[in-house]
Amino acid sequence: MSMSRLGIIAARLAPIAIGAACIAASTLAVAAPARIGREWLGDEMPLPLAVKTPQDLAVKAVAEKQYLIFNLLAGGKLAWDAGDYAAAATKWETLLRVPGLDPEIDRVIRPLASAARERAGGQAAATSPSAPARAAVVEPAAPPRPRLENVAVSGTIAGGGASGPGGAVVWLKRANGETPRPAPAKGKVISQRGKTFVPHVLAVPVGTKVSFRNEDTIYHNVFSLTKPNDFDTGLYKQGGTYDQTFKKPGAVQLLCNIHSSMLGYVYVVDSPYYAQADGAGAFTIKGVPPGDYELEVWHEGASTTTKERVNVGADGVRGLAVRVGGDRRAPEFVPDKSGKPRQSHLGY
Amino acid sequence: MRRLTSTLALAGLCVSMAGRARADVPAATPPAQQQETAPEQPSENDSDGYTPPAGTTPSVVVGGYIDVGFAHAQGDGTSFAPGDTRLPADYGVDTFASAVNSRGDVASTDSHGLFTNGFLPHSVGIGGRPSFLVNTVAADLKYTPPSTGLMVFTRVLALPRFSDAGDATHVLVEQAFGRVIPFDSQELALSVGKFDSVFGTEYLDNESNIRTGVTPSLIARYTTGQSVGAKLFYRIQLAPLWSAISINMAATNSGTFIDALQTPDVSLTGRPVGSVRLGYELNLPRVQAKLGASGMYGVRNDQSDTAARQRALGADLRVAFAGLYLNAEAVKIDEDSGGPKTNDGGAFMFASAFHARGFYGQVAYALTVDAGPLHKITPYGRYELRHAWFDGFTPISVDRITAGLRVDLWEAVIVKAEILINRELSGAPNVANNVQTTSVVYSW
Repeated sequence: MSMSRLGIIAARLAPIAIGAACIAASTLAVAAPARIGREWLGDEMPLPLAVKTPQDLAVKAVAEKQYLIFNLLAGGKLAWDAGDYAAAATKWETLLRVPGLDPEIDRVIRPLASAARERAGGQAAATSPSAPARAAVVEPAAPPRPRLENVAVSGTIAGGGASGPGGAVVWLKRANGETPRPAPAKGKVISQRGKTFVPHVLAVPVGTKVSFRNEDTIYHNVFSLTKPNDFDTGLYKQGGTYDQTFKKPGAVQLLCNIHSSMLGYVYVVDSPYYAQADGAGAFTIKGVPPGDYELEVWHEGASTTTKERVNVGADGVRGLAVRVGGDRRAPEFVPDKSGKPRQSHLGY
Repeated sequence: MRRLTSTLALAGLCVSMAGRARADVPAATPPAQQQETAPEQPSENDSDGYTPPAGTTPSVVVGGYIDVGFAHAQGDGTSFAPGDTRLPADYGVDTFASAVNSRGDVASTDSHGLFTNGFLPHSVGIGGRPSFLVNTVAADLKYTPPSTGLMVFTRVLALPRFSDAGDATHVLVEQAFGRVIPFDSQELALSVGKFDSVFGTEYLDNESNIRTGVTPSLIARYTTGQSVGAKLFYRIQLAPLWSAISINMAATNSGTFIDALQTPDVSLTGRPVGSVRLGYELNLPRVQAKLGASGMYGVRNDQSDTAARQRALGADLRVAFAGLYLNAEAVKIDEDSGGPKTNDGGAFMFASAFHARGFYGQVAYALTVDAGPLHKITPYGRYELRHAWFDGFTPISVDRITAGLRVDLWEAVIVKAEILINRELSGAPNVANNVQTTSVVYSW
């Protein structure tokens, strides 16, 4: 099959599409390496264009439409070339449903979409050239959407300053729609051992009860001034435990009123899709339904969280590369229970 | 007032330029509240948490702060009353009225040719002229070898003084000590080197990046000095009572006076000075209270006569409740007369016997806010009274009222402004020596 006309159409759209793609590419510099296989790199919407005026909005709308057309057009071609006819058919059929599509594009793509659908083993979609996009979605001939299994999202965290990326908490929230409420985890324990909190950072879902256990031969206390998860265990000796349920999402700083050098964190997530990075920064979030998500990363060495959009396909996502900040050091003067800063070098 | 306002505005500008976005807890966008009725989804993701492998935590930590300010003292910046020719003249300025910064430095110690006997605080030399100041540049270095109970700490202060009328720029090794915690099962810490006083509690707030206000109290000059020696701290927890009792004791070359009043780094007599604080603390979830009684006894170390003794007794109280902080401290100081005096100000004819009684009480309310860089707002007020005399001279009583505001921005920046109203109550003529001062502290 000749693809020469396709090249002509692509050339007509190039000035707009290349500009839009450049903008997108610059913002996707971190995420891009994570994409694997035959996935078209530019399938990210909306474009990160600043909108401050009605004119900005109009420009953004036009750019996004052209960007979408270009992506579907070129993405279908890449899929065709890679032998993934189902993907090619899906992209081109979606393209044909875009309202106000250039007739030239329709004339070229329609037979190609049919061919791709046939090669994919399905019946050619009978998309009407003039049908509006919304109506086209309910066309009876549209290929049935297969039921997708939950998949994994994995990758590597970089950054985190001098302490490295270990312990970073990574979670996903649905970009569209509500994220399921996570069930509390069970059996979570943070020990005081050798005047440290072990683990140093623990990620738990909302509603999880964490047991604080003193494994030292001296008294300990655990408290947090981080509202609304503030608490105070009082003093307890070796073998003693104190249970605290964390009901609100966010980072909770853990301190000991006796030992000013002790510092730890509980991070409370309100999503069932979360993980903690190991010492090398590697993480895997399991059981993620395919779809669009906002990925967020918290690290004790960063003053702000890192966020980015992630599209989780049927095969999941592997090789995601995310960088967190490293601008925040461990505080030198941690407060006592009253909030008064203490000088740890004094030893009391 | 207009000057003060513009100073604050300038300070704010400095802050906005220097600020670094940090927070107590690294910020996370508060997620939208989920419907409590939504079904819970069991998660396949169960974290066991993360602990850095042994040896990966940095064993060397470097920090410090920079304290800059703007100050204005009334009159000529001293507390010498015009025409007051009493001896020793330094006693006139010993009201310590015009402290303008966190070091307790005064605006001026210019005695206009009168003889002084070396009992003067340090001076920034700005006189009565409103001036910007670089108060302190501090650098801390802490080394903690892995898996040991050992720690080495140094704090070096650079004190830039750009006026010929004041003290010269100098570098002060304020602290340099090693500390060992020999038993894991005990709260016992032994320190050797040059370290903070153990007397009272104001030394805990000695540095401007910790102190609530700008200036130290009137009695801080007797209790917050550093000296060279050995120190022991021991504490026992009384868990059923949410309480603890502690002892903090030291044997040092000098006593607890600040460096301007003695030679803290060497012993002039070969006899150590002992100091101790006995403490009780109540640590309830909502209320903390700390009580202490302190004492200091030994040979006076600003002279070499071993018969001349110094004695101090003190009591302190700290209460914290719902963001409200009450600090109070009282001292009784007695120094015998001795031989020729040698201190940071030079050599002088003799060491007069000196006595002081004083106290301060401070109330502060810390309002935690979460509005962009604004982290905490703390208005505070302090009242203090001091009654003191050299043997054979008229006792002088002064008091001081301090009102101020502290604003914490991010985690690294503190902006403070305060007004000090100094009053000569008896034994000395009134002197125009009120002070307005501001301080911007950036910790790094």
